[in-house]
Amino acid sequence: MDPIVDLDDVTKIYRKGDSEILTLDHVTLRIERGEFVALMGPSGSGKTTLLNLLGGLDTPTSGRVSVCGQDLSVLSARELARWRADHVGFVFQSFNLLPVLTARQNVELPLTLQALLPGERRAHAEAALRVVGLEERMDHRPSELSGGQEQRVAIARALASDPQLLLADEPTGDLDARSARDVMGLLKRLNEEFGKTIVIVTHDPHAAEFARRELHLDKGVLHLERTR
Amino acid sequence: MRLVWLNLRRSPARTALTVFGTAVALALFCLLEALLAAFNLGVDMASASRLVVTHQEGLTFTLPQAYAHRIRQVDGLRELAEGTWFGGLYEAPLPGGQKRVDFFANFAVDVESYLKLYTEMIVPPDQYSALMKDRAGCLIGDKLAARLGKGVGDRISLRPLIWPKKDGKPWDFTIRAIYTCRIETFDRTMMIFHHLYLEEGRTFGKGETGFYILGLRDAEQFASVSAAVDRLFANSPDPTRTMNEKAFNLQFISMMGNLKLLFRFIGTVVIFTMLLIAANTMMMSARERTREMGILKAVGFTDAHVFFLLIGEAVAIALLGALAGVGSAWLLANVLGANPMPEFFPVFFLPGTSVLAAFGLAALTGVLSGIVPALAGLRLKAVEALRSV
Repeated sequence: MDPIVDLDDVTKIYRKGDSEILTLDHVTLRIERGEFVALMGPSGSGKTTLLNLLGGLDTPTSGRVSVCGQDLSVLSARELARWRADHVGFVFQSFNLLPVLTARQNVELPLTLQALLPGERRAHAEAALRVVGLEERMDHRPSELSGGQEQRVAIARALASDPQLLLADEPTGDLDARSARDVMGLLKRLNEEFGKTIVIVTHDPHAAEFARRELHLDKGVLHLERTR
Repeated sequence: MRLVWLNLRRSPARTALTVFGTAVALALFCLLEALLAAFNLGVDMASASRLVVTHQEGLTFTLPQAYAHRIRQVDGLRELAEGTWFGGLYEAPLPGGQKRVDFFANFAVDVESYLKLYTEMIVPPDQYSALMKDRAGCLIGDKLAARLGKGVGDRISLRPLIWPKKDGKPWDFTIRAIYTCRIETFDRTMMIFHHLYLEEGRTFGKGETGFYILGLRDAEQFASVSAAVDRLFANSPDPTRTMNEKAFNLQFISMMGNLKLLFRFIGTVVIFTMLLIAANTMMMSARERTREMGILKAVGFTDAHVFFLLIGEAVAIALLGALAGVGSAWLLANVLGANPMPEFFPVFFLPGTSVLAAFGLAALTGVLSGIVPALAGLRLKAVEALRSV
């Protein structure tokens, strides 16, 4: 079976002035389609960097990153943007919804890049909001929603273009315990019912328990793996 | 486009103030353009088939009326009219011993020939007949008539500033005709009267005229006719200078050269200020949304999308300002006829080319004010943007 994520000996070094910061150190990783993976580790261990590499938001210093069968290093910035729109959905810690747009308009945002008629865009967005249980709040702006609801809108936005891979960076970091449980339950459902491959970065062991596989990073080295 | 519009509504007060600032700047620019157009009006309404003969030393010198006969001999002429700038000041008593004073262009001319040359002026036939029968009669434009509150048959007096009357009194005239025009931009605030009346009443300058206006059979012949006329009097005590009407009118405008330069300078400063206001707003607005640009890029928007989003916002603000500012100026000048100095500018209007120029400037200002934040947005890496607070 083809892995959806295939990282081969990936190293990432950030340069700040004269100093170099090694963030990922020869990481090799395969994630199969339909997996739910939690990336854990202390702050500065390279979790978010790894997630950014998987989403094509950053490029490795060395090594090869292949996602959804595509070697990302051969794509131009424009092709990478297009590829992200088609294949990856992002969920961020602080939701990152556009405050001027309603929930539905936020979900429609990535769909504006697809060849869809306005009516089709609307239907897709409403369907995604139904999946996350927010169809009744679709005309509310982010400021009129709770944190948990905002994060569910962000998940609906990530789902809207029906990507194969969902990447979530600390999706429960800004939520209370109950909302965090709801959001993780939703991600689990998306994984189990809709077959989405999900990779989350989290500090929270309770959140990580929802994943079927846990990866631990420390100082840029992938060194512990646990499968449920 | 919707995202551009929604972003403009994000901070309504800031957007409104920037649009207002842009609108005021463009309204001022347009009104200055209208003033410049008023300056140029004489040039614009000049005919290519009319020549003006003046003294070689300039308009303040007169020419012998005897020249008319010799000029008529030149080949290619259709009509000739003599004319003298009268420069009288309108005075009318007001209740309470006050005086109403007004100034408008007034010329003594050979009325019959003059009206054959200026076919743009429309005079009703019965009024024309009355004018030709009355040596002290005058013809005024309908706008001037409205300004003075006068009609056909009313009397007006001009205090002479150049040509005193033998009895030392003001010159009295009876309005015998009122002209309208075929062309909207033609001066409808002039007054003309019989040169003979001036000739009979003035204390000096008898047998002289200020200038001759020549009508050509063929506008193409203006160079040869001009040269032929000037050759006739080249060695006389009063040599002539013959030019087409446009050049003649430009002489007047050139006297105001510094004023035009000042207007242009003010207009440039206004536009530059508008650019700074808009650029400041755009930079503030873009800096506040660094993280959002990161989100857009993360969900698949390209660098170019973000660039054009920011440029689009800047251009939209500028064009909204243009709509309000140019619209207001157009309304003031072209609909309400708010002429700031009717004595000096017989026609005051905002030309279509100035409207287009104002919109073009607004669009350019929008692009320039948005270019710095848009380039920053273009270069912004999604990862860095998402890290910003």
